[in-house]
Amino acid sequence: MNAAIALKRGISAELYKYKRTFILWFLIIGPAFIPVINFIIFMSRGTEVMAEGGNPWQKLLGFSIDPGNFLFPFFVMIVALFVNSIEHNSNTWKLIYTQPLSRVTVYASKVKIFVLMIFMSLMLFGIFSVLAGEIVGMLQPELGFDQAFDKSLFFSLPFKVFLCTMGYASIQFWMSQRWRNLILPLGIGIGGFISFMIVSQGWKHAIYHPYGYQILGLGNLNDPEFQVWANMEYVYRSLGLALVIYLLTGIDKVRKRII
Amino acid sequence: MSESIIQTHGLDFYFKDFKALDQINLDVPQGSIFGFLGPNGAGKTTTIRILLDLFHSKPGQVKLFGKELLQNKVEILGRVGALIENPSIYKHLSGRQNLEVIRKMVDVPKSRIDEVLKIVRLVDNADKKAKNYSLGMCQRLGLASALLTDPELLILDEPTNGLDPSGIIEMRELIIELNREHGKTIFLSSHILSEIEKLATDVAIIDEGKILYQGKLEGLKPENEIIELVIELDKVAEGAAIIKNMNYTLSEENGKSIHLPIESKKEVPKINKALVNEGIEVYQLKTSEQNLESIFLNITKKLDQ
Repeated sequence: MNAAIALKRGISAELYKYKRTFILWFLIIGPAFIPVINFIIFMSRGTEVMAEGGNPWQKLLGFSIDPGNFLFPFFVMIVALFVNSIEHNSNTWKLIYTQPLSRVTVYASKVKIFVLMIFMSLMLFGIFSVLAGEIVGMLQPELGFDQAFDKSLFFSLPFKVFLCTMGYASIQFWMSQRWRNLILPLGIGIGGFISFMIVSQGWKHAIYHPYGYQILGLGNLNDPEFQVWANMEYVYRSLGLALVIYLLTGIDKVRKRII
Repeated sequence: MSESIIQTHGLDFYFKDFKALDQINLDVPQGSIFGFLGPNGAGKTTTIRILLDLFHSKPGQVKLFGKELLQNKVEILGRVGALIENPSIYKHLSGRQNLEVIRKMVDVPKSRIDEVLKIVRLVDNADKKAKNYSLGMCQRLGLASALLTDPELLILDEPTNGLDPSGIIEMRELIIELNREHGKTIFLSSHILSEIEKLATDVAIIDEGKILYQGKLEGLKPENEIIELVIELDKVAEGAAIIKNMNYTLSEENGKSIHLPIESKKEVPKINKALVNEGIEVYQLKTSEQNLESIFLNITKKLDQ
């Protein structure tokens, strides 16, 4: 059997099982959270926010990306937990691994779905943010949302966050797959993120901390020299780490005893 | 001679230092209902997990359908349906949706779902959420998903475990039907002998990782069967004396009855006559053949001694 067909089957089964689950709502409501808050801010105190003048889109971008980048690791941790706990909770590891598909296929399907979920929610985040700006612009034209602005930034920046996230996301995925326990991966993940916050205050090796790539990689939006595709070393580190972790987890999964 | 569907050769398996399986040589003939019997912790589930490659065996140890398991895993698993221990069911989905998840993995036509639901008699409850299913329904749903690919071999691990009596009977009927009408070879494990006795054509008995007996079910019964005669009578002591005079040894004598081994049922009227002639009132004469349960206990207990 063709490996691509096998993978397609694995993925379509994987997608189907999230029907009627909380995760689907989480993947939509999560990305809407910050745009909705921004919408409320601009609607209720838009004039105060824009008191200094300038392009409201630039303001909205900062209001979206910075808190988004801060909250996103927690979102990733929960998604990683969810895609794996659905099997832990229903005792279905042994069910999916006794189907006539290779272990690599079954494993790769899950990784793909996980990565896809993260990607989709970041793109949704971009869509919701632009939508919030457009609607505010319609309701309160005096804020100046009709000014020209490169709205592709609402997608290219989340895409960069996506790339920088892959590294620690793979660690979260591995932990959630390995342990039935929900607290352990969450605790280690939060610990990882906080420890980055601490070491980033001055430790020179903080640039290698996997839970900080998306923050260091994005850089400062308010810097006039700001460029989307600068600081690419964090993207490479993140992707390299993800590749290694997914590979090791895959090898482990192929060799492991499945209970 | 029918073909072997499952063959293992000198299968050993360790959990760290603990030897869970010791030289298991199974030979499951095509078309049989093969009962795999043993007390809890004997190695039944471990063996089943190895047959499904959830636990890896070493090359050359396991063959299914005459083919090496490790090299032909995907093909072999396509011809095997399995139900392992506690049910594997997505509780948030309905029975039908659970089958749909598996159907997408194995790529059979959608109509097959209705067919298997009919076989396991779950059509009426197919659209209920699985979290509202009884244990019996969960087991039947598990069986349905094992049947999706129309496999030649079904491997069922304790399929009646935890079911109530009517659930057990239903499951048993289902297994027999699958074997007789759908021609499936069935390998099933259990720790309840009477269960296997009612179903199986062949058995293997395993204890502490070793196979103690393998073959036809009838082969388990000893050739020179010893029959135990239980006599209920009014004057136990007198009756015992009379029987002892006839050169019998008593195995038990209590206030109500006498127990003694005899070689053939033909001896029963002789004993009865002797007692009646001496004026003893006989209330009941009962013979019991040594049942498989005690044979099973004898076989599995030997290792403890």
